[in-house]
Order: sequence, then C-alpha cells, then structure tokens
Amino acid sequence: MLKVDRLSVHAGPVELVREVSFGIAPGERVGLIGESGSGKSLTALSLMGLLPEGVTATGTARLEGRDLVGVPERRLKDLRGRRVSMVFQEPMTALNPLMRVGAQVTEVMTLHGVPAARARERAVELLGRVRLPQPAQVARAYPHQLSGGQRQRVMLAIALANEPDLLICDEPTTALDVTVQKQMLELIAEVAPALLFITHDLAVVASVCDRVLVMYGGRVVESGPLREVFARPRHRYTEGLLAASRLTPRGTRLATIAGSVPPAGHFPGGCVFRNRCPHATPACESEPALTGDGHAFACWHPHG
Amino acid sequence: MILYLLKRLAVLLASTAVAGAVVFAFMAVLPGDPAEIALGVNATPEAVARLRAEFGTDRPPVVQFLDWFGGLLQGDFGTSYVTSSPVGEQIGDRLGVTAVLVAGGMLIALLVAVPVGTFAAVHHRDPLGAAISAASQVGLAVPAFLAGILLVFVFAVRAQALPSGGYVPLAEDPAGWLRGLLLPWLSLGLVQAAVLTRYVRSAVLDVMREDYLRTARAKGRGRMGALWRHGLRNAAVPVVTVLGLQLATLLVGAVVVERVFVIPGLGDLLLNGVAGRDLLLVQGVVMVLVVAVLLINFVVDVCYAALDPRLRGTR
Repeated sequence: MLKVDRLSVHAGPVELVREVSFGIAPGERVGLIGESGSGKSLTALSLMGLLPEGVTATGTARLEGRDLVGVPERRLKDLRGRRVSMVFQEPMTALNPLMRVGAQVTEVMTLHGVPAARARERAVELLGRVRLPQPAQVARAYPHQLSGGQRQRVMLAIALANEPDLLICDEPTTALDVTVQKQMLELIAEVAPALLFITHDLAVVASVCDRVLVMYGGRVVESGPLREVFARPRHRYTEGLLAASRLTPRGTRLATIAGSVPPAGHFPGGCVFRNRCPHATPACESEPALTGDGHAFACWHPHG
Repeated sequence: MILYLLKRLAVLLASTAVAGAVVFAFMAVLPGDPAEIALGVNATPEAVARLRAEFGTDRPPVVQFLDWFGGLLQGDFGTSYVTSSPVGEQIGDRLGVTAVLVAGGMLIALLVAVPVGTFAAVHHRDPLGAAISAASQVGLAVPAFLAGILLVFVFAVRAQALPSGGYVPLAEDPAGWLRGLLLPWLSLGLVQAAVLTRYVRSAVLDVMREDYLRTARAKGRGRMGALWRHGLRNAAVPVVTVLGLQLATLLVGAVVVERVFVIPGLGDLLLNGVAGRDLLLVQGVVMVLVVAVLLINFVVDVCYAALDPRLRGTR
C-alpha cells in the first residue's frame, strides 16, 4: 500500500536521510526506531510533504499508487489529512489555542469536502471514538482547558477523521505521563488503519508494532519482524540499542553505546556506525548494503 | 468574561483617580500663583487675596483637588482663570479634531503595516522581504514632525497638490477637510506604519514556526491557507499590545504634528495654555490625554480577551 523507494532528504549539501526503502501493507503496524538525529522524523515528514524550509526530499514514495515525494504542494494538500494523517510529538502546542476543539476537528473534514453540518456531528462522534469522556463538551472547549493526554486524543481524532489509509505517529506518547501513555498506545493500536510509528522507546514499539525499521545516521540499518529483530538483532547498532534498554541487576554497569550520535553531515563514510562500533574493521570503510529477506541488515560483522 | 470586564473597568477607574491626583499635584507644585499672574506685578496684596478667594485657590490643596476632580466626574473642567471661559468647552471643541487626526493616522498605519508586515514575514528569505525590513528600520528613525515637514515640502511646496496647513471643519467643506487632513494623517501614519510593520512581521514569523500551523498543513491546508485561518489571529495578540502603546505615542505625536500643520487640536490648545499660563486649561488637557491613554489600555485589555480565550478565565 505504501511503498517507499530510495528516499533521501537533504538540507543543502548535507544528506540527512540516505536511500531509505520500505513498504507498509494495509493494516500493518511498522515501527521506525532510532536515536534523536537518526532521521526518523524527517523520513515521516517527507511522506507528508511537511519538511521544514530549506530541506528537500528525493526518491519515491507511493501511497496506493499516488506519489508523495516531488509532487507539487497543490496535489499533496489533497492527500494530507485525507489519505495520510499524522499525529505529532507535542500535544501542548499542536492545536490552535484560539480555536475551539470541535472546530479544529471539523476543519479537517470540511477541507476535504464534508458538508459543515455533517462534519460537526461527526467531530463529536470522533472525540467519543478516541475515548474522550463527554465529547460534546470537549468539542466546545479550548485546547488550554484540556490535559496533554486529552489534547493528543484530539489530535488522533483529527488524524482519523477522513479515514486515511495511513496514520503516521511521531513520538505521540513521549510527552505524556506513563499511565496516559499506555492508554494512548492501546488506542492507537486499535484505531490505526496502517501505521508508521516513530519512537526512540523500544518498549513502546514492542507493544504496538508488527515490524520494525532501525535507523541510524539517516539510514535503515536493520529491518524485520519485531520479534525476530528484538530477539536476534544482527546489526551491531541494534544489538547495542537493545542492550542499553535492558534492565540490569543492581550493582552492574548499565550497557551503553560508546560515543554519541555525530551531528548531521559528520557521520563516517562506509558503515555509518563504525566509529562507535566495537567490532569495526577496515572492511567497514565500504558501505554495507541492506540485505536479507524479511529480516534485513546492513552490517559487515553481524551479531550471531 | 463579564468578571474580567468588571475587573478591567475597576482598574480603569482606579488609575483615572490616581492619574488625576498626580496631574493635580504636578500643577500645584509648579511656581506661579494664578491670582498674581492675573493681576500683574504691581497688584496690592489685598487685591491678590481677594482674587484668590474668588478663584478658590486660597483653600487647602486637598479641598481644591476634590472640588476639581468631583467636577471632572460630572464633566465640569472648571473655568479658566485667564480667559474666564469654561475649560471643558474649549477642550470639547478640540478633542474631536485630535481624535480624527489620531484615528486617521492609526488607520493608515494599520492598512500599511498589516499587509506589508505579513508579506515581509512570508517572504523573509527573499530579497524583497529583507528590503521591507530595512525600509521599516529607516521609517523607525524618522520622527512624525520631520515626516510632516518632508511631506509638506513634497506635496505642498513642490507639487502644490495639497495645502501645507490649516483646518476646515467637516461640516463646512468636506473636500477641504479631507485635503487638509491628508498630509497630517500621512505624517503620523507612515511613521507608525514603519514601527508596526516590524512588529507585524515578527509576530507573523513567530506564528509561522508554531506547531499548530504545521497541524493545519497536515490537515490539508496550504501554507497561506494555514497562515490565514490559524496564524493571523494568533499574531494579532502581540500586535494589539503594540497598537495600544502606539496609540498613546500617536496622541503625543499629534501635539507636535498639529503645530506643524496649524491644526486646532488638543496639542495646539495645550501649547497655548502653557504659553498663556492657563493652569486649569493645561491641567484639563493633560487629564484628557491621560484618560485617553487609560481608555486605550482598557480597550487593549478587552481586545486581548476577545482574541484569546486563555485570558478570559476558564468556565
């Protein structure tokens, strides 16, 4: 349904995302994981055509045969909010503070041709569907009268309003309390048509997704079914990431990945992880391809 | 909302009272006794004392203040010691002229600054946007009276298209009224427009970086559509603040511009009052200006609440 092929993102001469390819089948829930600066948010924003000024995407991305990259804004506008929707990280600032919640949900439907009266009715239904208590009352509220979790539910209602083919969530629960996080994740898993879920939190991915893509340095370094990647990571970065998130017995040192993520444009050539990888050899100076059926990885010295 | 309005109204009344006291106190400590001034240097002490009793300036200052302020609340500004005519009437005639001058200047400023500032923000990466920024910087440095003199030079002296000064009442000759006011309006308005343009530009730029604008685009709005529907009202909040401050400076600017264009407004009256040592007149005009500024602030506060639900107090 979604087919992304060699998607790259550039800011001037600096390559931020390099030749990312993946697909999402209808109903599939795919996790995109990686640290800050790995290019996961840019990948998502380029699918929405919402990259910041001065940042451009190349390659192809097709949703049900419709191009998403390199298409004029006029055509993308029609797809955004209708065929593909997005929930952002910061619920506190994502809603217009001066507009009633109901009007903001209604807007996404009237924009795509739903008659105003019908859209208003449906807005209340949607607010109920994302399990906001007393949806009619919430519709009349202003964003500042709602909590972060409630606002994120409103964002989800907006995203689902036109029954899109694909829902993209960019760290939708990072800013929320842990208890609220869990409810939100369950809700997303329940209502999402097909899902691209971006996070740095491995536990969150594990609870929502069927398949994961691990990004580092603007590339997908490993991808495959969730269980397999988490149980038998092949790429050394994935291995390190999983080790770092594992609970360790009291008194033992926490596992970490040596060094830190370099700033954009300063990743080493060849394998992007080699300057932090304990297994790196001169062979890693040439770029490993992402290979493997189902469970793929780009590493010269894979684990296991 | 009603509670908010009542609070603001209470603040308005309290600050008016305080302002009245301050204005009165300032005038009271100024040297120069109205009775002595009226009678000249050769007057006998008895004559001065008699006139003081007649003016009421022999009473304790607090009584004089209460008398004056009480009168103000009923619209009575007292009678001039110098001209023996009621101060309120003189002010009333002039207030309308100054109000029209200031309102026209502000309108021009808004009509220029909102579209130009928004354009400069949307095109902040292009040379044209940068040029607007630079031009507004120049405008910022020009005082209104200088702009007035330049405008007179260009339109009245060189082109001979408009009168260089004078005022015709609207009722007498509407066309003449408009022609007379055009240059004063422009000299007040263009300078304010320069200031306002910068604020509009930065307010719109700030709003363009807001997450909710990205949300609007994610819903399927274009860049301009998102800005129009979700951005401008948000940008209006900081702009209204500046607008209030500007209206206050515009009142002061009007005093000077009235001189340049020989317009019989409040500023003209104030300067005449000062020159003629007409204390009660000066006191009255200053008080009117102060109340005007307080009223503007009140209106600004009300606008805030109308624009931003967060300030209204939650239900």
